[in-house]
Amino acid sequence: MIKSVLLCASLLMLAGGSARAAERGSPTPACPQGVLTLRLLRSINNPPQPDVVAAWEAANPCVKIEVNEVPFGQLADKISVLAASGNPPDILGYDGPNTASYAAAGVLLPLDPFLPAGFKDDVTQASLTEHSYLGKLYSPGTQQTTLAMFYNATLLDKLDIHPPRDLKSGWTWAQALEAIKKCQQGDGDDVAIWGLAPSHFGTGQPGFVYRDLLFQRSAGDPKAPPDSSAYKTYFAISPDGKTADGWLNTPEAIAGATFYRDLFNVAKVTPKAGIPTAFQDGHACFTLDTSYFMAGLIKNDPGFKWGVTPLPYIRSPIVHTGSVTLGVSSKTKYPAEAAKFVIDVSTGTPAEAYAHRARILPVLKSVGGKMPELNEYPLSIFYAELTAWGQPRPPSPHFAQYDKVVSDALRDIAYGADPKTRLDAAVRTLQPILSR
Amino acid sequence: MLRDSLYSYQLLNPDDRLFVGLQNYAELLTNPDTLQSFGVTFGFAAGTIAVVIPLSFLLAVYLNGRLPMRAVVRTVVFLPVVTSAVVIATMWTFLLDPANGLINGALSGLGLPRLAFLTSKSQALPSVVLVTVWQQLGFATVLFLSGLQGIPNELEDAARVDGASALQRLRHVVLPLMGRTTLFVVVIMTVFALQSFAPSLIMTSGGPEGTTNFVVYNIYQTAFSLQQPGMASAISAVFMFIVLGISLVQMGLLRTKWNY
Repeated sequence: MIKSVLLCASLLMLAGGSARAAERGSPTPACPQGVLTLRLLRSINNPPQPDVVAAWEAANPCVKIEVNEVPFGQLADKISVLAASGNPPDILGYDGPNTASYAAAGVLLPLDPFLPAGFKDDVTQASLTEHSYLGKLYSPGTQQTTLAMFYNATLLDKLDIHPPRDLKSGWTWAQALEAIKKCQQGDGDDVAIWGLAPSHFGTGQPGFVYRDLLFQRSAGDPKAPPDSSAYKTYFAISPDGKTADGWLNTPEAIAGATFYRDLFNVAKVTPKAGIPTAFQDGHACFTLDTSYFMAGLIKNDPGFKWGVTPLPYIRSPIVHTGSVTLGVSSKTKYPAEAAKFVIDVSTGTPAEAYAHRARILPVLKSVGGKMPELNEYPLSIFYAELTAWGQPRPPSPHFAQYDKVVSDALRDIAYGADPKTRLDAAVRTLQPILSR
Repeated sequence: MLRDSLYSYQLLNPDDRLFVGLQNYAELLTNPDTLQSFGVTFGFAAGTIAVVIPLSFLLAVYLNGRLPMRAVVRTVVFLPVVTSAVVIATMWTFLLDPANGLINGALSGLGLPRLAFLTSKSQALPSVVLVTVWQQLGFATVLFLSGLQGIPNELEDAARVDGASALQRLRHVVLPLMGRTTLFVVVIMTVFALQSFAPSLIMTSGGPEGTTNFVVYNIYQTAFSLQQPGMASAISAVFMFIVLGISLVQMGLLRTKWNY
């Protein structure tokens, strides 16, 4: 059956023209070796943007980039199928936390030989960790993201609630919950304005690891002794990425997951399913989102005052880092050309222009130095979080599997499952996979 | 598929494979999630068939008569059959939404509490059964209708002359002669139900707590998300033999005693 699925997928790709190998056209006076066409797979609305690709093609007239797109939710599955096909695209836009998985499976090419001298010194630590495997760098990184809590200031001003604007005075979740409860209008089946907007990450269901695992990780403590459950809760996986038992299901993690469940089922301040645009539409007081969301609010005025406050925490502040990024397929016949594209569009002017326009956090310190807005509210909140609180999603050569199993567990907990039972079940599923 | 089920490897790197013999099968039989997915799937198939078969037969009887609105009813009932399963799953996800869904809106309008159709452990599977019944009813009805129209009028006429009432003719003439059609509909509906995938993928992601984690969806997740195509092949092989066995049993139990 698996082979049939793969065969069908391959046939579909052939029909769509996306499974052709990179190829050179006939020689021309300007391109004596012929025009090379490299294939790029990216998720919709993610870098590299069309204008960046066009600018690079103009500067490199002997190389064309053939772009294929899939929704972000299908990206990992698509890459799995293409990697197995033996003829994957030359350039892969993928989710950064999967770097170790793809590197361990031999899907990605290490970029170290193609990087300019001193490049790694310019990369922020979170990105360097996330995009490296066994000491080699597999992606220069295109952007960084962290979560913060957006609030409807028009609603909160009326309640005389003024969320903090710096990390030092950031709320705990207990403090945030008080404000969320006060701001919510209605209860039971008749809620006009929710305290906290539903998640719009992933499938739109609760449980997305990037957002929702933070509840239990923040119940841990990185300053606790390394053999303590508080320390393990904060990191949520062993340092070698092979053990979840005793890291994901600690008493602190269960307490954090219980708080998370109660938001949906006891306090009932956030819906289990709902409108992804609840905050923008004025139907939610708070929402958890990235700086990318801020660009949308600036572009399309929601009609109310809004602000940003640091992400609340239970015991220790923490935000997840990581975003989509670009890498080179290990099976490309043109590694130098593909690597040049990836490095060119991820650094220098294209990186600066994209960071300014999309309000994302840059991967390179040199780009950050040219963005004064990083030190201005509200973007300063995200940048401060990135540098002070940022942690990669639990790094592992099996992150994709970890992500799937933990997301399912958190979704069930949000729907009302017992946190201990469900986290233990997740560990039971995950542990044999991580141990391989 | 059988060969793949004897190996452990990742889809990302299929060349790096390890021969594990029957280990995937041994793990499958002790994995509570996989066993749950088999239970859920057979429960779903039984629920779907239990509702579809009698309902579609009654609809077919209605459409076979000379009652009003037959053409409209036939169109309405058959429309979901020719609609994509993905479209149907997406549409019902919106309809069943707890906050903004039309059905909960109607319940709320009637003063009834809103229901967590797709997020409640006890309601998710019945909700998916309901959606599947809505989709498959038309096809089963058309099959039964063609069976009814194939019964010679003389047989019913003879029963009528003998003084049999409409109910008696249905029970003693029509039903026994519909044996072959019923067998076909039951087998087809069973296969359709066991193949169910779109509702898990689009409406529930297999949740909550695995209550809609159908085997085909489980195979997909095991192969692609969990990167265990060897295990997914083992589940596929076991499932294939079970489905084959169920079909054979159904054909044996429902073998027709009458012909015309």
